[in-house]
Amino acid sequence: MPDKSSKLVTLLFVLFFAIVLPAGHLLGIVSINTISLWGRYCCFAIAALGIDLIWGYTGIMSMCQAFFFCLGGYCMGMHLLLKATALQGQELPDFMIWNNFSSLPAFWQPFHGFVPAVLLALLVPAGIAFIIGFFVFRSRIKGVYMAIITQALALGMYLLFLRNETKLGGTNGLTNFKTVLGFDLSSSATKLGLYFAAVVMLCISYILCRKIVNSKFGKVLQAIRDSEPRVGYTAYRVLHYKLAVFVVAAVLAGLAGMLYVPQTGIITPGRMSVTSSVEMLMWVALGGRGRLKGAIIGALLVNCLYSLCTSLFPEGWLFVLGILYILTVLYFDKGFTGLFDKLSTLLHSRRKAVVESPAISGSSSPSLRGAARLSAERDEAIS
Amino acid sequence: MLLCCLCWGIAHAQDSTSIYIQQVLHPQHDTMRGQALSRLAALQPPAALPFLEAVNSSSLYLLRDKAVTTGGKKSGAEELFTVYEVFPSHQLLKDESGQPLMLPASSLQQVQISRVQRLQLASLSSWLGIFSADPQKRAMSYGQLQQTSDTSQIKALALALQMETNAAALRAGKEAWYAIHLNNTTDAGFAKLFIDSLAANGGDNAAVLLRAYSKKAGAIQQATAYAAKKAEKLDSNYAWLQRIQNLFSGISLGSILILVSLGLAIVYGLAGIINMAHGEFLMIGAYATYCTEMLFANVLHIQSSNWFFIAALPVSFIAAGLMGLFLEWLIIRRLYARPLESLLATWGVSLVLIQTARSIFGDLTAVKLPEMLAGGWQVSPHLVLPYNRIFIILLTIVVVIALYGMLFRTRLGMQIRAVTQNRNMSACLGIDTRRVDAFTFFIGAGLAGLAGCAMTLIGNVVPDMGQTYIVDSFLVVVTGGVGKLVGTITAGLGIGIFSKVLEAFFQAVYGKVLILLLIMIYMQFKPRGLFPDKGRIAEE
Repeated sequence: MPDKSSKLVTLLFVLFFAIVLPAGHLLGIVSINTISLWGRYCCFAIAALGIDLIWGYTGIMSMCQAFFFCLGGYCMGMHLLLKATALQGQELPDFMIWNNFSSLPAFWQPFHGFVPAVLLALLVPAGIAFIIGFFVFRSRIKGVYMAIITQALALGMYLLFLRNETKLGGTNGLTNFKTVLGFDLSSSATKLGLYFAAVVMLCISYILCRKIVNSKFGKVLQAIRDSEPRVGYTAYRVLHYKLAVFVVAAVLAGLAGMLYVPQTGIITPGRMSVTSSVEMLMWVALGGRGRLKGAIIGALLVNCLYSLCTSLFPEGWLFVLGILYILTVLYFDKGFTGLFDKLSTLLHSRRKAVVESPAISGSSSPSLRGAARLSAERDEAIS
Repeated sequence: MLLCCLCWGIAHAQDSTSIYIQQVLHPQHDTMRGQALSRLAALQPPAALPFLEAVNSSSLYLLRDKAVTTGGKKSGAEELFTVYEVFPSHQLLKDESGQPLMLPASSLQQVQISRVQRLQLASLSSWLGIFSADPQKRAMSYGQLQQTSDTSQIKALALALQMETNAAALRAGKEAWYAIHLNNTTDAGFAKLFIDSLAANGGDNAAVLLRAYSKKAGAIQQATAYAAKKAEKLDSNYAWLQRIQNLFSGISLGSILILVSLGLAIVYGLAGIINMAHGEFLMIGAYATYCTEMLFANVLHIQSSNWFFIAALPVSFIAAGLMGLFLEWLIIRRLYARPLESLLATWGVSLVLIQTARSIFGDLTAVKLPEMLAGGWQVSPHLVLPYNRIFIILLTIVVVIALYGMLFRTRLGMQIRAVTQNRNMSACLGIDTRRVDAFTFFIGAGLAGLAGCAMTLIGNVVPDMGQTYIVDSFLVVVTGGVGKLVGTITAGLGIGIFSKVLEAFFQAVYGKVLILLLIMIYMQFKPRGLFPDKGRIAEE
């Protein structure tokens, strides 16, 4: 039955990332860099969950999610950099010395402590998303207008972060981190720990997102996606719902960025360029919009492909990505999950036709279809 | 008038001067040339000064036994120089048809004068430049004379000004002349006269000179106050000119935005396509221009850089248009009325196109500026409007008029407007909507290609040049209102001018962020663009 097999698949998925990969490392089969790489992909998957909430479930195309991701990343990066600076016995981070700063800027002060830094990494994206969302949704900007406004915003912020005057390291971003909570970032035990943190956070975010989607709130979101005016006519405050989901998506992106920075050891404005926002949308489109699992699979798959392509034939990556964009939109409208749905329906109807009488071959029961889809999904995720 | 009063008798020194010059040109023995030069340097006969400058800058030549020097050069297959006679008269040599004589360096016989001998002129070399054949050097040398009080130099300056033919150099020379006299006069009336002349002359340093004079110790009280007032006025004039210049570059930036956005706006209005690859049509247009240049220079061997650009205008339009047609057929017609999906798919198209361009053409190429568009229109000494920007503005005006004519005066234009308003109804009435879509896409892509061709006039050709304009032009479309040409044009101009004006006050980046904030605030009040349709239309 669907619930049961869905849970089984999820369990297998979690087991693979929580036990098989680390065990592979301990046995010496999987290198620590691979583990760290998958940790980063998990962070991207968290951000993709947020995008699925806002785009797949609510139908709002936000093209500044990478900006929120970077806000979280910068908050964490500032904390790590301050710790590294203190460890070296300096008063100011290197880039500030090069730019002739006399003292630490005031807005850097709260980032000395770990807890305030983590809180800010979630609150800053939330606050900014609230302000942007309030003005954008209040004037009923939606659809294409929303996409273009948020894209322009991402471009503007990207240009702003490139400047040295923003006091966040300019083009070079923040780097040279040493420790997190006192643990050495270069040791493999810390890397493994960060990987676990990412996997655990991914699981928690997934569970939370599923709660949201299945709640009454989530149903209203889907209703907004399908027909916003009708939801408005039935006396729901559309603005409040949209604003709430926009903030949740921003917080998820911020969380992802926060977990991402200690694993990569660098955060630059390049991460928040227009291109990376569109790429994030692509993960979700490729995995399957309106399905939380689709978002996760899409994020893991595209990034995996990116690592493969750039190491095998670096020139060709943009071709691959561009053609993927086109093919996904043209042929797999529902992404990979949708594709496997279709395939399994085909497969089942054929098998059924052999086993049972040909009269009912056309309609396979939804429960069977769901199970087949998930089994296919599992194969996809593990391979 | 002053200059005329200072006309100077030359005749009395003529004979000895020409003898010395003959000795420099054709010395009987080597020491004689040195002696002759030192005599000339001591006497400083006015007629010989251009000759001495030619010696000083070691560009003295003999042409049919006449002493000449070279002026500006024109490069082509062989470098050609204009030729000036330096003694006894000082004039540009012309050929039979009255055109300036252009000669290759090989047909001129250089008079070799050793460094030691040239050093005889060391005392004069600081100001001899005012007799140079090169107007820029003359203008610079005039500038260095501004503070002098040496009477022999003032006399030389007067002489040079009489012979001056170049407007910019004449302005610099007059400025020096007035400044010298202003500094030396003791009469308040005269001082005011010179101050007025300095201000009216409009030289580069007039404000600086006047301000320096107003603070000078020992100058006349009334005159210094007057000078300070004049300097202030000059400064405010200059600030105004600066504003006009900013406005002008804003209009030209707006023109490019309009060219790019027009295609975007009609395609979005017609088919509901957000074409992220629209910027890449601009890139294709630019590369088409580059290819035309290569074709003209390397295959057809046409050296003049004007022809290739004239040919490139239709070539870039058609190349980008055909590419647009191909993409429409291959991908975009499957995406009609799905704007958000079309955004992702066309983003993919743009990635593929950029990477293709990079692998064919490399990272950076540039197109030569056509000769006819080099330089600028000098409205006043401090306001130069470059021809290439004027051309872009004119091109945009022509394109907008043509587009309006096409949309409102032809049958096809009527069909396009009909499909934009109601696709199903138009199809019912027998309009071939597929053909209309394809044609509109061709026009839209072609306009972007034309914009790309225009872009080569003001920047390099790089594979991702379209991406820098795409976000801005989407903002133009959004601000102007979807599918509204008037809105697109107004918004394009507005955003172009605003960003240039804001850039003048803040730095470029902050200007951009401010523009964005302004648009967001504006959208609060007019969420459906500048010129929304009247009436109550249901949202879906």
